[in-house]
Amino acid sequence: MEKETIFDDVIRAFKENKTALFGLIVVVILIVLAVFAPYVTPYDPYEMDLNNRFLKPSLEHWFGTDMFGRDLFTRVIYGARISLAIGLIPSLIAVSIGAILGVISGYVGGRLGYWVMRMADVVMAFPSLLLAIVVMYTLGATLFNLFIALSVVGWAGAARVVRSQVLSIKEKEFIEAAKAIGVKDLKIMAKHVFPNCLPSLMVLFTMNIPDAILSEASLSFLGVGAQPPTPSWGLLVSNGKEFLFSAPWVAILPGVAIFITVLAFNFIGDGLRDAIDPYLKG
Amino acid sequence: MWKYILNRLLISIPILLCVTFLVFVLLNVVPGDPVALMMKEKVSADVVARVRAQMHLDDPWIIRYFRFLWGLLHGDLGTSYKLQRSVTDLILQAFPRTMVLAFSAALVSWIVGIPAGILSAIRQYSVTDYFFMGFSLAGVSMPVFWSALLFQYVFALKLGWLPVSGFYGWQYVIMPAVVLGWSSAGLIARLTRSSLLDVMRNDYIRTARSKGARELAVITGHALKNALLPVVTIMAIQVASLLSGAVITESVFGIPGVGRIAVDAIKSRDMPLLQGSVLFATILVIIGNLVADILYSFLDPRIRLER
Amino acid sequence: MGSVLKRFYVFTIILLTLTFLVGTASMVSAKEKELRISYPEDPKTADCQKNTAYYMLPLNCFDRLIECVTLESGASQLVPGLAEKWEVSPNGKTYTFHLRHGVYFHNGEELTADDVVYTFDRMLDPKTQALNTDILNFVDGAQDRLDGKTNSTKGLKVLDKYTVQITLSQPFAPFLAVMASPQASIYNRKFTEKAGDQFGLTPKTTCGTGPFILKEYVLNDHMTLVANDKYYRGRPQLDKVFVRVVTDPETMRMLFEAGEIDIFDCDYAFSQIPYFLESPKWKDRVVSGPRVGIYYMCINQKKEPFGDVRVRKALQMAIDRKTILDTLFYGRGTLAHGIMPKGLIGYNPNLEPIKYDPKKAKELLAEAGYPNGVDMTLVQVSTWGQTWAKMNELVQAMVKEAGFRVKISQVDESTFYAVRKTGDSDHYIQVWSADFNDPDNFFYTFFSKSGTVVRSFNNNDPEVFEALDHARTITDQKERIALYRKLEKKIAQDQAAWVPFFNIEHLYVLGPRVKKFVVPWNGWSDMSYYEMNVE
Repeated sequence: MEKETIFDDVIRAFKENKTALFGLIVVVILIVLAVFAPYVTPYDPYEMDLNNRFLKPSLEHWFGTDMFGRDLFTRVIYGARISLAIGLIPSLIAVSIGAILGVISGYVGGRLGYWVMRMADVVMAFPSLLLAIVVMYTLGATLFNLFIALSVVGWAGAARVVRSQVLSIKEKEFIEAAKAIGVKDLKIMAKHVFPNCLPSLMVLFTMNIPDAILSEASLSFLGVGAQPPTPSWGLLVSNGKEFLFSAPWVAILPGVAIFITVLAFNFIGDGLRDAIDPYLKG
Repeated sequence: MWKYILNRLLISIPILLCVTFLVFVLLNVVPGDPVALMMKEKVSADVVARVRAQMHLDDPWIIRYFRFLWGLLHGDLGTSYKLQRSVTDLILQAFPRTMVLAFSAALVSWIVGIPAGILSAIRQYSVTDYFFMGFSLAGVSMPVFWSALLFQYVFALKLGWLPVSGFYGWQYVIMPAVVLGWSSAGLIARLTRSSLLDVMRNDYIRTARSKGARELAVITGHALKNALLPVVTIMAIQVASLLSGAVITESVFGIPGVGRIAVDAIKSRDMPLLQGSVLFATILVIIGNLVADILYSFLDPRIRLER
Repeated sequence: MGSVLKRFYVFTIILLTLTFLVGTASMVSAKEKELRISYPEDPKTADCQKNTAYYMLPLNCFDRLIECVTLESGASQLVPGLAEKWEVSPNGKTYTFHLRHGVYFHNGEELTADDVVYTFDRMLDPKTQALNTDILNFVDGAQDRLDGKTNSTKGLKVLDKYTVQITLSQPFAPFLAVMASPQASIYNRKFTEKAGDQFGLTPKTTCGTGPFILKEYVLNDHMTLVANDKYYRGRPQLDKVFVRVVTDPETMRMLFEAGEIDIFDCDYAFSQIPYFLESPKWKDRVVSGPRVGIYYMCINQKKEPFGDVRVRKALQMAIDRKTILDTLFYGRGTLAHGIMPKGLIGYNPNLEPIKYDPKKAKELLAEAGYPNGVDMTLVQVSTWGQTWAKMNELVQAMVKEAGFRVKISQVDESTFYAVRKTGDSDHYIQVWSADFNDPDNFFYTFFSKSGTVVRSFNNNDPEVFEALDHARTITDQKERIALYRKLEKKIAQDQAAWVPFFNIEHLYVLGPRVKKFVVPWNGWSDMSYYEMNVE
């Protein structure tokens, strides 16, 4: 009997859902642009050209230039690196940590499991942006610390979902059978429980990404995230805010980039969720 | 049901305690001389020493934590380093403004979101459906600070219909409420739609339809009541996301609420103020979740009838 | 839609209306003459003794013994304020002020000599924890009072109801100019004692003699000042001044364009200057005055290798100050090559300029033993406006050519001040504006024995210290200025103790409602609105 793997589900998601496919294409393009940034962009993102400030978008400068004469298109492309990294890495870390803790909590149960969930409750009690702000206060406002802050904020939700999944899997027959044979707990967790959580984990991961990107942009916009001259998209919008009236493209275009990226990931997330695990909607 | 509610209440207390502990540790672990911040440039060493002793800044941190907790129980959140005023007073002054903003934004999200979700569910896969769902998705994907700027640019600067920022009358709430409400509206619309679709597939709805009841009556009478169940709980949980969003909205629109206080506090490293505002917001979220749980227990017959 | 939905809508619309009504506040009344301005930060208190930076409230709600007025831009004069005349003893140590009769505080009490003595004694009272005590440093008995050794200040004496005598421990030439600075505002004994530590924090606990009364003060949001009908010089023409706290330049710009504020202070938004200068709508509404202040880079000689004067001189030559002036301030200013800015008594327009010469700088560095360049750190406070960040970025890029590798380090405000006053701060760029019109305000602050440490310069030259102390006591103005000019060349050029950048003009854009606007003598943003008028 052919066992349907998770990859079949994924492929089915993209085949059936055109918007998800569109999102995937956009993300792939972004990743390519970000990885090959130095080859794709004609200018240096940090080089100032004070004679050419606030140039309107043109053939020479596709997005125009900013207040220091830096090419905006270049800075936006380099900013994609930051946004993609901050979207993917903390989400990966958060979901991984959450998964491990959730599996332990759900499978082992008992007092350890109880307290892990209480910890998750505490973290989830905070409005996420405020918790991130507090962590940034403690660590200091740099891009690197933002990775840590967003991972801290994200793990609790994943842990909770994974735990409830584990609880329902635990009761299944094949687990009891394995236990009866005498397979060690750790092995059961690794070989049977964990892989069954993978679909939910994938969806959790994809759905965490847009939140992470928006959080980073917001925090950098407020001044408690990336610092100049880093071309973080949030920082670009905040820098451009002053010139909204005279040179609106400096603030608006990076915002468009954020919008498109987050939208694309949301498309993917929705598509995956619909195909793999509709029960995650609530 | 009452057992359930009591259970939830009791669990909230240790969570609250852990929250205060976490916030205190995170914010007080960091060095930085608050006395220097108060006195800026012109102060002598003995003045600094005296003031530090007065503020008990050199006591071991566990003692400072309990002193802080004791003050918290009496409603005293400390004194802002930079503004030299009671943190509790500052937050209580700012809170009503955040309330107005959050409530208005929530209203916008319900008024826009619920009908959008309903219409989309009724006419699933039609143009209406795609339009509303696209609109919702856009709301959720757009960074609040960016949409805020766009709104300011178009409605305040170019068209002059609305004021730019501040909080001196009801017109000042319109743009912030719409901007903040839009992303929530998206969430609510999507949730309403999926919830309604689920319910509509149920057998007893089919039965009601087959009996000949008008489609609209069926929906509003039967389906809606059950579909709104998860939505209602989401409304209470909205508190958390609205407070997060309020932080940015208040900053961009110059509304002197709790969110803006938190941002100003982190920028000027005003620890007591940041501590107080974060704690306050978190307590609100915990209360919101509690209310959501209680509401859910009333509405969900499975819990209501539990012995 | 179904009737349920309709009811739902009606209900929410009612709720909406109620909600909005809850958040309502009063609006601008069209019949009153109200000036609406913006302010970059909340001043925290109206008590000038505890405020080192924000003087808008003291300048409008309080008065001083002597006032400094603008004659034409840059030129200023000391005129009688609360004191109608005064005498100085021949040895320069005793000042006798004769107060005006019939001046009333906002609470109805008449101004007497006792109030003056009380005000200054309060500043020196250790319980007050005042921050601006340095204006009274030379008053006889000031140090004992500050140390808590006495209960009153020896040099402050009431001669009769309207006559005050202040005796100094040694002659201090700038004393009269200091009495005109906002930190020397006069309080009412009865009211201030009663208000205790709440003085200056709320409208109810603020009282002065000034042309405006503080009516409303919502922290971090706005302040409202109303005209004082009984002001001794006559009621101001304005009925009301509405001050909004606006922290970012774009919002300020939007508010101004939308007509919600009447004056746009370009100091808080330099980036907007070219727009206003070129816009046909605004270019005739731009007024300017020189700021009696100087932008400078502090070089901490404790941070090696800046103990070597050649390295410092190289740094001076490595920065293209003109380009910074043009880029960030649109060329509206003059390059500075010394210490005293334009508009200050003693300003020397004939100083030899410091040239921009990165090649020579590189050579000088090699000569000093650093052919491969020098590493240095510029410290930046995260909460200060964008202009500082941009200036640091520009300097960082510029000095690369001469071989300086700059790292920009971010700190928060409290850390910055704490570290700086120990003398260990990294180099930083800042601005200093005259508190009073005297060179001492510049030299002593940065290059005196204590000043050079607490500002992290560490330019330890005992000859300079002695000369600065001596200059304070010289009574012949010409002799004083000659000495300061000599010291200026020595400190800024021979010793290269700092990098002077420029003095910039202060531009203001006036909204269509503003009929009369007076630029303050020192080009400050904080100013008195007494003389101004709107239609």
